[in-house]
Amino acid sequence: MKSIWPVSVLMILLAALVGLGAAVLATTYPAPHATFSDRPVVYGALPAPQDRARLASWAQPSPDGQWTWQLGDSAASRFSPLDEINASNVAQLKPVFTFDTGLKRGHEAGPLVVGDTMYVTTPYPNDVYALDLTRPGAPVKWQYHPQSQKAAQGVACCDVVNRGAVYGAGRLYFNTLDGQTIALDAATGHEVWKAKLAEISKGETITMAPLLAEGRVLVGTSGGEMGVRGSLAALDAASGKLVWRAYSTGPDKDVLMGPEFRPFYKQDQGKDLGVSTWNPEGWKIGGGNPWGWVSYDPELHLIFYGTGNPGPWNPDQRPGDNKWTAGVFARDVRTGQARWFYQTSPHDLFDYDDINESLLLDIPTRQGLRKVVARPARSGFFQIIDRMSGQVLSAKPFAYINSMKGVDLISGRPIMNPDKEPKEGRTTRNICPAAPGGKDWNPVSFSPRTGLVYIAHNNLCMDEGDVDTNYIAGTPYLGTEARMYPGPGGNRGVFTAWDPVAGRKVWEIREDLPLWSGTLATAGDVVFYGTMDGWFKAIDARTGRLLWRTKLVSGIIGMPMTYKGPDGRQYVAIFAGVGGWSGAIVSGALDPGDPTTALGFVNAMKDLVKRTDAGGRLYVFALPR
Amino acid sequence: MSLPCRVSLLPLAALTLLAACGRETRDFSNKMMDSPHRGAKFAGNAWRISNGARLFVWMNCAGCHSHGGGGMGPPLMDAKWRYGSSMSHVAYTILNGRPGGMPAFRGKITEDQAWELAAYVRSMSARTRRDALSGRADEPANVEPLPLEKRRRARAVTPEQDAAQKESSKIEGTGP
Amino acid sequence: MRRGAVLLVMALGGCSALYGPQSSAMGQGMESAHIGNLFDLFLWVTVPIYLGVMVFLALAMRRRQAMVQGAARPEQEAGWRLGLVLFAVTSALILFGLSVATWFTDRAIARAGAGPALSVEVIGHQWWWEVRYHDPVAGRELRTANELVIPAGATVKVSLSSPDVIHSLWIPNLAGKQDLIPGRTSDVVLKVPKPGEFRAQCAEFCGLQHAQMALPVSVRAPGGFAKWYNAGLATPPVPGGGPEFAGYSLFTGRQCASCHNIAGTPASGQVAPDLTHFGSRTTIASGALPNTAASLERWIADPQRVKPGTQMPQVPLSPEERAAVVAYLESLK
Repeated sequence: MKSIWPVSVLMILLAALVGLGAAVLATTYPAPHATFSDRPVVYGALPAPQDRARLASWAQPSPDGQWTWQLGDSAASRFSPLDEINASNVAQLKPVFTFDTGLKRGHEAGPLVVGDTMYVTTPYPNDVYALDLTRPGAPVKWQYHPQSQKAAQGVACCDVVNRGAVYGAGRLYFNTLDGQTIALDAATGHEVWKAKLAEISKGETITMAPLLAEGRVLVGTSGGEMGVRGSLAALDAASGKLVWRAYSTGPDKDVLMGPEFRPFYKQDQGKDLGVSTWNPEGWKIGGGNPWGWVSYDPELHLIFYGTGNPGPWNPDQRPGDNKWTAGVFARDVRTGQARWFYQTSPHDLFDYDDINESLLLDIPTRQGLRKVVARPARSGFFQIIDRMSGQVLSAKPFAYINSMKGVDLISGRPIMNPDKEPKEGRTTRNICPAAPGGKDWNPVSFSPRTGLVYIAHNNLCMDEGDVDTNYIAGTPYLGTEARMYPGPGGNRGVFTAWDPVAGRKVWEIREDLPLWSGTLATAGDVVFYGTMDGWFKAIDARTGRLLWRTKLVSGIIGMPMTYKGPDGRQYVAIFAGVGGWSGAIVSGALDPGDPTTALGFVNAMKDLVKRTDAGGRLYVFALPR
Repeated sequence: MSLPCRVSLLPLAALTLLAACGRETRDFSNKMMDSPHRGAKFAGNAWRISNGARLFVWMNCAGCHSHGGGGMGPPLMDAKWRYGSSMSHVAYTILNGRPGGMPAFRGKITEDQAWELAAYVRSMSARTRRDALSGRADEPANVEPLPLEKRRRARAVTPEQDAAQKESSKIEGTGP
Repeated sequence: MRRGAVLLVMALGGCSALYGPQSSAMGQGMESAHIGNLFDLFLWVTVPIYLGVMVFLALAMRRRQAMVQGAARPEQEAGWRLGLVLFAVTSALILFGLSVATWFTDRAIARAGAGPALSVEVIGHQWWWEVRYHDPVAGRELRTANELVIPAGATVKVSLSSPDVIHSLWIPNLAGKQDLIPGRTSDVVLKVPKPGEFRAQCAEFCGLQHAQMALPVSVRAPGGFAKWYNAGLATPPVPGGGPEFAGYSLFTGRQCASCHNIAGTPASGQVAPDLTHFGSRTTIASGALPNTAASLERWIADPQRVKPGTQMPQVPLSPEERAAVVAYLESLK
């Protein structure tokens, strides 16, 4: 009998070869991008009317159908009372006109509409255009091109974005990347005053949209990745002179902490904690830049804003709690004096800037309505904080978190997970949420009709490794290498409808790409948002069902807004222009061959290049006549 | 006229070894800076490239350019060069900065350190002598080092661009 | 007993450095005391055993000779057998005893690290030592380089790590060698009863200048240590004028500030030794040169000539500029 061994051995070898080949192919050819259903996953019922959160009693969202502030109103609702477009007719929306900025970087801002003029701001070089809405095609009425330093582009961490302007008393206020705040006459576009608040030679830039409150223009610096000591400044709206400036680190006199300061938690009580919770001199290059959103309560005369990450990213170089970074401040808008502070991320390990918006809501409790600050924080917790005292009433996760086990409401401190603590000399893996957090800067919206907060956010995790970094003014001060990838489930983005009173998700939509657009809620019970590959979507505010979508020329990281035109119709506007930190692979033409590119974000976005292009176009939609 | 049948191998071996010496020379007295073929000398010296790799992290180049992929600054491991890819172009860029955001490092680093950085930057797109390039990272790193083949593949954009870059590097004698 | 052994070695031609600040023979640390006692025990036990074995060997050789010459008497065998058995049992007991003694010594050394201790972190770089003192109040953390100052009588827990290659910290008078391995944290406990000045060095080949990677270790009385620590936390004032001010301007404006840190100045580089109180250090470049103005001038002029391969470049300075920088650095007491 012929031996069976040679044949058997050959068959085994063949099988092994085929298996090996399959394995090699599977790892070298990436799977086609997963498709996620647009159908919302429902977790529970909407809150009953008496259990709904309400917008702060004094808030008047966008009266007259205008839009004068990026967040809609000073309570940060991003809610419009216009209801001409509703769930039954939104599918008929058609583009009415478009406007090209001529730029191809990330467009994060939304336009403003006052009367019959629309005001548009752009990423660097921070041009401003006024469009005449009374004429068809909305031609440019005037344009303003600021003189700014080109080198500012080299110290902007996350694309050369700008988050928009604010309108008040006939003037338009906005910031330039190289650190100027400019006031323009809204009718003519002439420069009224200009103030310089940041020095690019120290790595400082400004990207945020200023807030106008009680005759003061509030401006915060950027530069937490460059070793910049952050500060929030108040300029006189009439003259541009500096009224007060509150730093985020350092001695109490710089942080404007005086006898009015009454922090709720013990760890925030003491003298000069902004110095003693740092290694000596560390606070001078300590970060804490308030580059995000500021809210304002006119009854309490308080502003609420968060401070950014401490510098450097590598926590071993800055022992201590690193006050007053990665936390939320309440300050008196007239004097800048601090009222309370809560640190969301003491001795921050993961770049959990706390700059996200602070919604000012009144929530029903057994003792009646309680004034709170509702904040979807970077750390992934949805915080409900008492507006007067700074006490955290609840902090429930709206994203998947394994870096922290929860928040201890007695001490106020997050309970850290020691396994996820980055240490020099080793790579810590699978930290969730990744550095952009459960949600980054892109703002949520709130509908008083449903009582839900609409959150467009991320589902990303990361590996992080730290090395000691050097400090050279004007260069990055990081010490961290990271690599991001999709979180559990494989979807990189999530749209969540959140009930802030019950502290739970009501429904969510899983998106393939991270969601970096703002959301907009309207009285027509429609919510608008956009995806990074250019789909602009309208969903039902109650159920999350997709009602309408259209593909735009570029990915969407901007903030949708709605207004009533001079002809009385309701219009919806959104910028298409991918970029920012998440879209840098497209807007900056970065190379995915290096997984640490753009602080690790490019590793999670390798497919974006095939799905959208860079661009900069404003789209305005309306119902057909 | 015919060559002798058995050419002695010893002088040949000696010559080969001598050629390899330059690659590993530690130039502590900085004589390379005064050489007329400065670019080629730096780019072909393994010690200089290794120092460049260390300085790339120390001087926060990695903060803007990551490890070649870019970020705040453009990628360095591809074939697109805004301001020229030859050794003297890159060293000039590092020392004097460029409009658009590249800071000037003159006064922050010494000239020979800038040339070491230039040698390392060019090596990120495999634009260097193969034997001078380190086979693995010299320092403990958080990501796997990029093998030479991956860097070579990253280089190719268009044949015209590649040819133009080869031309500019010929002036320095640094080779492709 | 130990001194006797040492004197013997010296008498046989050993070097006189055995009494110096870098000598493992005259251990002054807590660890050395324990190990010294164990050493004595071993010496007292093993020397008589050795002598005994030699005596038995001599007897055996004599007996062999006698057997060859035919003078052996077989009836003596039984006695020999008993003796051998006794000898084996005694050896086993002695070995067991020595193992137990070793175990106790090891436990004593390990236990010494428990309890309240001063926590110091030593990070080995190529080719210098970074030293960070920990404190519960972050604002009281002290960072220095190329010097280790500890209080006498206190337990000092030194944690060791390295970001680049394997080094090893060896303070011969105070403790044994302990490696600094990238990616790991190791530690060594120091407990020195009396003040003194010592010299440590790197004991694991770590590159071109492994030989010039010394670390002056100073053990001070608790009061003296507290004084040194508080002086270290103080920020040196910016010089008012003169060559020190010129040196300050040069230091913060030129390449120096890219790598070195001096508190209270714009120079905040983190990759080279912290120079905040450089003037009060005893050596330059981790033991390569004594800290005098002339040596510092020589170092800055051409570091590669003193320590070839060091990562400090030759900074272009004119002789006057160099003198100004030297004046400034020496003024940082």
